[in-house]
Amino acid sequence: MAVETVKYRCLRCGYEYAGEYDADNPEERACPKCSSNSVRPLRAKKKSKDEKGQKG
Amino acid sequence: MSDVGRHPNITLLTLSEVTDIKGYVGNFHVRVHRKARYVDEKECTACGECVKVCPVTKADEFNTGLSTRRAIYQPFPQAVPSAYVVNMDDCLGWLPIACGKCIDACEKKCINFDAADEDIEFDVGTIVVATGLDVFDPSVLEEYGYGRFENVITSLEFERLISSGGPTKGHFIRPSDRKEPKTVAFIQCIGSRTETKGHPYCSNICCMNTVKDTLLIKDHYPDVQCKVFYIDIRAFGKGFEDLYKRSRENGVQYIRGLPGLIEENPQTRSLNLTFEDTSASEVQTCTADMVILSVGLEPRRDTDAIKKLLSLSLTKDGFFMESHPKLQPVDAPTKGVFFAGCAESPKDVKDSVTQAGAAAARANRLMAKGKIHIEAITSSVLEDACKSCARCEKVCPYHAIEVDKDKKAPAVVVEAACAGCGTCASECPFDAIKMRHFTDQQIEAQIDVLLTENPRDKILAFACNWCSYAGGDNAGVSRLQYPASVRLIRTMCSGRVSEDFVLRGFQRGAPIVLVSGCHFADCHYINANRWTQRRVEKLWDKLENSGIRPERLQLEWISAAEGEKFARVMTELDQMRKKVTQEEIEQTIKVLSEGKKRKAV
Repeated sequence: MAVETVKYRCLRCGYEYAGEYDADNPEERACPKCSSNSVRPLRAKKKSKDEKGQKG
Repeated sequence: MSDVGRHPNITLLTLSEVTDIKGYVGNFHVRVHRKARYVDEKECTACGECVKVCPVTKADEFNTGLSTRRAIYQPFPQAVPSAYVVNMDDCLGWLPIACGKCIDACEKKCINFDAADEDIEFDVGTIVVATGLDVFDPSVLEEYGYGRFENVITSLEFERLISSGGPTKGHFIRPSDRKEPKTVAFIQCIGSRTETKGHPYCSNICCMNTVKDTLLIKDHYPDVQCKVFYIDIRAFGKGFEDLYKRSRENGVQYIRGLPGLIEENPQTRSLNLTFEDTSASEVQTCTADMVILSVGLEPRRDTDAIKKLLSLSLTKDGFFMESHPKLQPVDAPTKGVFFAGCAESPKDVKDSVTQAGAAAARANRLMAKGKIHIEAITSSVLEDACKSCARCEKVCPYHAIEVDKDKKAPAVVVEAACAGCGTCASECPFDAIKMRHFTDQQIEAQIDVLLTENPRDKILAFACNWCSYAGGDNAGVSRLQYPASVRLIRTMCSGRVSEDFVLRGFQRGAPIVLVSGCHFADCHYINANRWTQRRVEKLWDKLENSGIRPERLQLEWISAAEGEKFARVMTELDQMRKKVTQEEIEQTIKVLSEGKKRKAV
């Protein structure tokens, strides 16, 4: 899987920033503002089977 | 090396590369790709007649390019076996033979161009990783002009230059005009202790190597002026301080501060250095006939390949991580694998020899017994529940689980290789893996009992045995204050904390749940905490989809030395806990109970 740029949100202080996300080689993350490790990648949600079926 | 070559119990495989390792402690199966030497090493007497007739000239790697070699050559003077080798990339051609002069010159007829590479396989009980190091390439530091100015060389090139077996037979000359330099400047910490171009760590050996080099120069060329530019001299080993003092007493000038710029005088080819003497707080300039860059050490380029072969982990510096820095400094996290030398960290000859002895003794201790004691904390498979999905095989950091998906046979745990992190048990979608100790029932019982009374006043924190839990201990012995609302549950690894444990905590009314483990570079189970992070990320999505604020699940990496961080995190979480209302908790319990009912149906 390729490295993608995603938005991260710190679940401690709420700070948001952009950074690289590599699902195959995860890296330790820390919020640049509060240094918490509770940093959540906000990736685009995968389409569900129902959504995929509703083409057009 | 000669002793190793002659030893009846040691098989030396040169020109060889390990391509695959399977198995576990006591039962490793190794495949090695052995490149053809094209010279019969048993027959070759290293007479050198072949070298005399070889028409090819190439830079000699051993002499760092300061001299040349032929296409047929001996890699270095004391090489074992003492036989020549043909580098086919350099040779004029062998299919058909384009030159063949070496074949004609060899009286013993030991050159064979029909030799071919081979793959050999064998079993071993233990493995010692002693893959050495690379040196920092200073050409990225443009201000020092390495590669542009001929008289700027590295400490490694200097070693070859003053070696009696080197390209100048030990005569100290500068490369541009082959004259003896009158002033020499050494610059320390090239590629070390920097956050920009280089590495943040100290390379350990460079200070004393420079002290030794200055003494060598002063012994052989007392009139040569030596200046050493440094950040601080680290002379901490036995006898090292005396050596440093002797260097100063011999007239070597030590200047605290690194040059910011080197410029070459085009006429004399001498070098002008601009530097700040931080002891005097003055910007100064000086001239040197030659500059020697004291280059730092770095992990070998192929470290990643070995890491994958043996399921090892690396420190953040890129060197192999030992099992425990104090109690098992030569053991790898994978049982039966040991480290020696700079593969583990930068170190000098004495430390490398000491570590090699220790690694050999540790390996021998295992093999002499013929059997091993394994930890009681291992995983086992409930065969009836296993669907052979191989999820456990994928997540096991030790490759201790084997699944034959074709036969749809239940997973098999190789207990000798299992370290008991529990990642497989947490990831199994069918609850088909049971841990011995730290069982699901034990952990669930702890969750239940901790949240029996006033759960809203409590933070449920899962802490790994090696780092986070020890971080809590550290906070305690340091008398650091943290809120009494924290309730810790110890697991061997954060990888053991399953989705079910977290959701159970919320279902029992916990306002905040914390999952904490070792920093990535410190994980005692190679990479198990990477799976923890992935799992928590999925849980954040799942919680949000269920209408539960993901902020209530927190993740933190806390090392055993970070008592202060432990106390700070717990204080922050307590502030977050106070903002979670009773209504929110009740809603969470309702949502999770309904979800559980649906799952049961």
